[in-house]
Amino acid sequence: MALTDFTIVRRSMTARPFSTVTTIITVAVAVGLMLVLLSMRDASRQAFERGSGNMHLLLSRDSSPLVSVLNGVFYANAPPRPITWQEFRALTDTSNPDNFVAAGLDWAVPVQLGDSFRGLPVLATSADFFSKFRADPEQPWRLADGRYFERELEIVVGGTAARRTGLRIGDTVIVTHGLPRRGDADSAGAAPHEHTEFRFRVVGILEPTGSSHDRALFMNLESSWLMHAFDRRLAEDARAGVPTVADLQDRDRLITGVYLRVVDNRAYQAVFDALRRDGRFVVAAPSNEIKRLFDIIGNIDQIFLAMAGVVMVSSGIAIMLALYNSMEQRRRQIAVLRVLGCSRPRVFGLIVTESAVIGLIGAAAGVALASAGGLMVSTVLRQRLGLVVEPKMPMDAIAAVVLATIALASAAGIVPALVAYRTPVAKNLKPLG
Amino acid sequence: MESQNPALLIRGLRFRYGPGSSANNGAANSHPWVVDVRALDLAPAEQLLLTGSSGCGKSTLLSLIAGLLEPQGGAVVVAGQNVHALAGARRDLFRGRHIGMIFQTFNLLHGFSALENVMAAFLFSGVPARQHRSRAAALLRHLGIERMDADPDSLSVGQQQRVAVARALACNPVLVLADEPTASLDPENSAAAIGLIQSACREKGAALLCVSHDPSVASRFERVKAFGDLNPTDSFAISATPR
Repeated sequence: MALTDFTIVRRSMTARPFSTVTTIITVAVAVGLMLVLLSMRDASRQAFERGSGNMHLLLSRDSSPLVSVLNGVFYANAPPRPITWQEFRALTDTSNPDNFVAAGLDWAVPVQLGDSFRGLPVLATSADFFSKFRADPEQPWRLADGRYFERELEIVVGGTAARRTGLRIGDTVIVTHGLPRRGDADSAGAAPHEHTEFRFRVVGILEPTGSSHDRALFMNLESSWLMHAFDRRLAEDARAGVPTVADLQDRDRLITGVYLRVVDNRAYQAVFDALRRDGRFVVAAPSNEIKRLFDIIGNIDQIFLAMAGVVMVSSGIAIMLALYNSMEQRRRQIAVLRVLGCSRPRVFGLIVTESAVIGLIGAAAGVALASAGGLMVSTVLRQRLGLVVEPKMPMDAIAAVVLATIALASAAGIVPALVAYRTPVAKNLKPLG
Repeated sequence: MESQNPALLIRGLRFRYGPGSSANNGAANSHPWVVDVRALDLAPAEQLLLTGSSGCGKSTLLSLIAGLLEPQGGAVVVAGQNVHALAGARRDLFRGRHIGMIFQTFNLLHGFSALENVMAAFLFSGVPARQHRSRAAALLRHLGIERMDADPDSLSVGQQQRVAVARALACNPVLVLADEPTASLDPENSAAAIGLIQSACREKGAALLCVSHDPSVASRFERVKAFGDLNPTDSFAISATPR
């Protein structure tokens, strides 16, 4: 194989392995950081948006719409003030011609949050949760195994929850009343206790949806109401027995939120306005709340991106310094190449190419680093915050960062290339000493 | 064309360092002339030795001939082409194709094998890439280098010189410029080295202009000139003012 300009570039890089490798690492870290930040930003937004799925509105008695979304969709905490079953029934009663809310609804799914299993939230809900609500608007729920719950004491396990707990069809689950404190899966919340009297059986395992619901377990509302009724009865009489559905009273039938979907845009405004006027509930449009949340943290995002940008520029300076410092040792080589017929512009091109190649290799290593880093960050987010973030690096973002890195590296090569360009030939061919 | 023209023709060549040394005027420059050659001709395949003490300007003359320095006046014509009339890359290409250079310290490329050092000469001379390896290998083999993939640092001094000679002659140049080629060698190796350069140039039909301050080399050349010799009537007249 003939010698090419690229051979000269390659030899020049391998002749100074330490300098080359450290420069490449500097570039890789900068590119990795930039890509992780870019991908995490998009991924977290997607994760948040996926959680609310195809619901339009969320009803609760939380303190604010944003808290309502964090609790109702992301299982942050159990809402302290419940909605009664009668209120839910009245709200969705289509037989009442004056009920504008019910008239505008496509569906309403009641949810009750307040129990947990090994630190994972257990959501009590109706069968409509799986048939009407979709965590991922693009896809209906899918079962990896088994079926959805049909009666009391049956439990369906979310995709991530199944992986973390190792639960399988037929396994017995004992639910804890109370949610763990955020960020610490092992410590319990306010007075949590196990309901050993109620032995749930796993009947279904869900496929992951990439949403917050993947880390939850699901049972029907009656199951939850039975446990709470038992607590109430024990408080009244220490010898009280385990209740049945027939024993449930209205005060046991409580929910913490309602997922709502309206029939069309006009109905959306009507329902939203009617619920706000009602004043008894907090009504939240999850997509708006998530947008508001991201508007708040967007600034931090930009600061991080700016910092990553500064790191990128620093890596460019590192390339420039590494090449510039090597020029002293390479004067003779450049002079010899000139004697052999290499023109000044070609010498210039060799150095800029070397710089660009360092940028390219650094960028490629950075992409690999970002993939590993993104995985690490998403694992930490899932474990510490329960946020299901799937870092996805869009090809256009990768291409943009890689091209920007090569451009930056090429620009960084200009100063050393000018030094090479101006290298006096005759002077540098003389014997040393 | 090249066989009819002299390999080298120099007329009124003047060069001095200092301000404007690269320009064509030496105005406001009080430095002495380092090179002041009225005329020097070299026929095709002719071999000439220029002698003179170290630092007298012999190497500067070679750099001027190779187009690596800009004279303040005069002309250097190699194979019919005025070297300094060519600009930039065209002059570099001309040098790569028509002028070979051999140095005292060989100036081989470190990190490149012996074979690659010779192949490097083809890289900038427009020789088709598919010929590079075979031509370089043939030349090295002809000059007795067997370990072609060896790094030049691992070769003996004599072998390094052979690689340097092979590189200088790779593109079949019209003119080979040898700058103190024996200065780093002992007398025995020195004689062998000069013999090698001369015979290689003869085989390739290249003219040889060798500069050396080593008096033992002189006996090997039919034509020898002292750099400091000023002889206006001689057609090979050279006038120089030592630096």
